[in-house]
Amino acid sequence: MKCEVCLKLLEEYIDSELAGREAEQVSAHLTICVGCAKEFEGMTAEQEIYARYDRALNISPAMWRAIAARTTPASEPTASSSRVRLRDRIVGLFNAPALGWSFAGLAIVLLLAAVIGVAYLRTRKQLHREEVVIGIKNAGPTVAPERHETGTTNPPKSDIRTAVENDEKLARKLAPGSPRAKVIRRKNSAAASQSDVLFPEVAYSAAEEQETQTHIEQAQNLLRSIRNIEFSEDDTEIDVTYEKALSRQLLNENVVLRRDAEMSGKFPVKTLLASLEPFLLDIANLPDKTSPDDLREIKDRVQKTEIVAALHTY
Amino acid sequence: MKRLAVDDLSLEGQPGAFAATLMNSSADLVARACRGDQEAFRLIFERYSRPVISFVYDLVGDRELAEELTQETFVRAYRNLRTLRAETKLSTWLFGIARNVARESLRTRARHNHHVDLEDKSVLDLQDGEPVPVDRLLGKELNELIRRSLALLDEDKRLVFTLKIFQQCSYEEIAEITGFSIAKLKTDLHRARSEMRRRIRPYVGVSHEV
Repeated sequence: MKCEVCLKLLEEYIDSELAGREAEQVSAHLTICVGCAKEFEGMTAEQEIYARYDRALNISPAMWRAIAARTTPASEPTASSSRVRLRDRIVGLFNAPALGWSFAGLAIVLLLAAVIGVAYLRTRKQLHREEVVIGIKNAGPTVAPERHETGTTNPPKSDIRTAVENDEKLARKLAPGSPRAKVIRRKNSAAASQSDVLFPEVAYSAAEEQETQTHIEQAQNLLRSIRNIEFSEDDTEIDVTYEKALSRQLLNENVVLRRDAEMSGKFPVKTLLASLEPFLLDIANLPDKTSPDDLREIKDRVQKTEIVAALHTY
Repeated sequence: MKRLAVDDLSLEGQPGAFAATLMNSSADLVARACRGDQEAFRLIFERYSRPVISFVYDLVGDRELAEELTQETFVRAYRNLRTLRAETKLSTWLFGIARNVARESLRTRARHNHHVDLEDKSVLDLQDGEPVPVDRLLGKELNELIRRSLALLDEDKRLVFTLKIFQQCSYEEIAEITGFSIAKLKTDLHRARSEMRRRIRPYVGVSHEV
């Protein structure tokens, strides 16, 4: 891959929007090209700065009270008041000096059209009734339509389905091996297996919690193993194939879990996962046989930032 | 026994309140709110009010206005809950409403010659002096720097940048919220990133070695 192609794709690579093959090509290029790797590091640093942006906004209880006051059924405009408002609006339109005549003209045309329409429909109905009467006479007695014993009508089908159905759909859309699909399937299977539980959503949430915990444990082990790799000054290459593959898998999971944590308001978890991500990204982008310098740099950062301890306290 | 486990999660004096918060998926809450359950809608508000207000604040740059528009967003959401399609994510849908509400507000204010903070050229007045390493820049200063730099982006770029960088929406979700094509949003996002980089790097010393 050429540098200009790589630089063009770098933003999409950081946004996790590149397809698998392109992502691999970019990743491979970053390991061999110092210039592109520097650009990548710069962008990652920017992301970290934006992640620190704190708007210091508060959600006051007064805000909900104001919304509740406007959404309770009593505050909904009644039919009669809306009719009055509609009438006022129409009157207002006629009072507008610039549009008065044109609206009056339009209203007369519409009125005439309505009168003609009603007259036409009435004559058609009469004709239809005559046809039906003739038809009944010809066909004889007919079976009365079925009536429900309860006398109630079926409620309209809600177009909102359950979250599990939605997630299943999403999981089907995603590639079978993708981390998002895996997480969704795991969550759904956890919820499904708890069919006898009184409150299945609690089990669902617990499954999510378990997922995060396992993920953090795996990340912790990975970082420990990176920290403990020993090499001598003579070594020119260190094989990190396993760590790299694991890091890639964890990176994808991390992105999904971080977003889930943010959406469900678990901000400490989100922050922890966000601080873990640069390490996973760096390890995932190492070549299979990396240089001692690159590895040393990551090891130093792991030690300096005490990320392992932070993960351990989760 | 299972019931007891749920009760263990109860808050003091509010039996089941915490448990109730835990055990509601967005789709369930929407379905219940559609049937007029006010408590379900309150939970939706609790879950999504923070991302929505952050998003609105990034668009309008005014704290009080952001609160007002967030209220309006949730009121509109409540009145239109039945139009939410099954395949649409609740967050995406809410961001779409918030975007429209914010845009209407910005248009109205512009029409009435109210100078909106975001368009105020005084925001260009960033501090002078030598770049400061990002670690030494105080949180407050960094926030102000990002806020001001964001304010200088044009509306479309700010919208796309906010959704991607701060709300971490996918390109598909951004396209759904904004109605932009993927190609346009990629271009806007790239330009927004470059502009932000140009403004932030000299002040926080964000270089490749960070």
